[in-house]
Amino acid sequence: MRIAGPSIRQARAERLAPYVLVAPAVLIIVALRLWPLALGVNFSFTGDGELNGTPVGPANYLELTGDPLFRIALRNVGLLVLLLPLAVAIPGLLATFIYLRVPGHRVYRSVYFFPAVLSPVIVGAIFNLMLGYDGPLNSLLGAMGAGPVDWLGDPGIAMFTVVGVHVWATFGMALVVFLAGFSTLDASLLDAARVDGASLGRTIWHVIIPSLTRTIQFVFVTTMIGMLTSMFGLLFVMTSGGPEGSTYLPEYYIWHQQGQMNRPALASAASTVLFVVMLVVGLLQITLLRRAGRQD
Amino acid sequence: MPGARLARWAAAVPMAGLALATIYPLVFTANVAMKTRRDYILDRFSPAGSLRWDNLAEAWTGAGMARYFVNSFVVVACAVALLLLLGSMAGFALARLRFRGSSVIFLGCLAGLFIPFQVIMVPLTRVMADSGLIDTYPGLILAYVAQYLPFTVFLMTSHYRTIPAEIVDAARIDGNTVYGVYRRIMLPLGVPALLSVGILDALFCWNDVLIALLMMPSPEHRTLMIGVNALRGQYSDDIPTFASGVLIAAVPVLMIYLFLQRQITDGVTAGSTKG
Repeated sequence: MRIAGPSIRQARAERLAPYVLVAPAVLIIVALRLWPLALGVNFSFTGDGELNGTPVGPANYLELTGDPLFRIALRNVGLLVLLLPLAVAIPGLLATFIYLRVPGHRVYRSVYFFPAVLSPVIVGAIFNLMLGYDGPLNSLLGAMGAGPVDWLGDPGIAMFTVVGVHVWATFGMALVVFLAGFSTLDASLLDAARVDGASLGRTIWHVIIPSLTRTIQFVFVTTMIGMLTSMFGLLFVMTSGGPEGSTYLPEYYIWHQQGQMNRPALASAASTVLFVVMLVVGLLQITLLRRAGRQD
Repeated sequence: MPGARLARWAAAVPMAGLALATIYPLVFTANVAMKTRRDYILDRFSPAGSLRWDNLAEAWTGAGMARYFVNSFVVVACAVALLLLLGSMAGFALARLRFRGSSVIFLGCLAGLFIPFQVIMVPLTRVMADSGLIDTYPGLILAYVAQYLPFTVFLMTSHYRTIPAEIVDAARIDGNTVYGVYRRIMLPLGVPALLSVGILDALFCWNDVLIALLMMPSPEHRTLMIGVNALRGQYSDDIPTFASGVLIAAVPVLMIYLFLQRQITDGVTAGSTKG
């Protein structure tokens, strides 16, 4: 028994080893990601301020539907969904041309990707300079005979400006993913198209798009998630939600209610709505793209 | 594809224009940072005559960027070290060891990947506050680790799956314990993936605004990005110094990009092709 003792202990240690290896990661992910999700949903049905912690049913959700700022935030989500095909098509087209070896194609990949590594705060700060009343962009417009535009001060324009800057900063990310998709493309299909004398447009439509369905699907979903969750930095630096609340997105609304207005329960309700919106949009995109892929 | 040659050349023009539009904003900012206030007001577009270090020095010391820089550096270094350690441990176990519950654990990590921070930021702030971790370095480090751990575990798992199981078996027969296999075999074999995912984690943490804003409210705990935003108010009438601060915050990231571009894009695409 004295001989067997250590080896039994050793065998036990070996059996437990996988659990020891995954335990820290599991503990952190459960305690600081999965548990807060459940906590937040629960929290959204309680009150703020004096009612702190008491159950109030769907009151927060009802308040959200009546809040003009939250309505603007949701309307802007709708705007993002409408602009999404553009935000996917631009990098997709650029990747196609890089794949087809446009003159200078080696350089473009690196140049287009580089804003993607910059912080939204830096991008926002740079564009605050670029979009100033007498900044470079308005000077360019002036040289072309067009009047200066109040890019960030006009409620009808500001949201488009911020989305434009976001696309400027992130299209390289999608481009690189598209290029990775292209590297899995079967070159003989392209050769066959060339032999058959197919035009560039037909080649893109009948060969490239069907072969890249999975990549396109991935880019659609990640671009949408990016638009819904990584514009906070730009909004924070460039507009602070203004002018007249026109650049609110759910994430900015959540931050504002939680930190500035001291309404954490209301903010939790908005978080839950954002989560549901993202799930629905994501699932919808996947089913739509699946169906489109099957028709080919 | 007849006409493809023509189309390629026709595409080259807008693509070059777009490349210019990608580079120019940074060139403009760098140029402004090298100007005196007077020059900037007179003509913001003319090339700055020479390098001016006093704007940079003012942003570095006068505006307290040095302090923010150190804060960011310490937090990011600790967070990335923890992420790589915990991520490679869990990735090795999930990819190469058989144990009860491993698939549930892997699915749990994947679920963590699909929860955006915005959705859990209110309860997470509360959990952190209840544990006394708000406004402390460990609190921010832990928040970053929690945020990027699912991604790190996922990438390390898929990397370790590409390493033949026979290597693990052979090392076991040679008398290594599971921990020995991790330390002597898996950690060294994981270096390429650790480099890619580590750079990405470092970029994410370095560039973050929202988590830093929530977890570190005190001005003396500001990270560099929060510091850059604070410069706006402080130097609203001294744009060249403001631009210098922006430049200071951008340069480390641009350097990393210049030298490690391949690793960064590999990390970004690994998630898309292995998914």
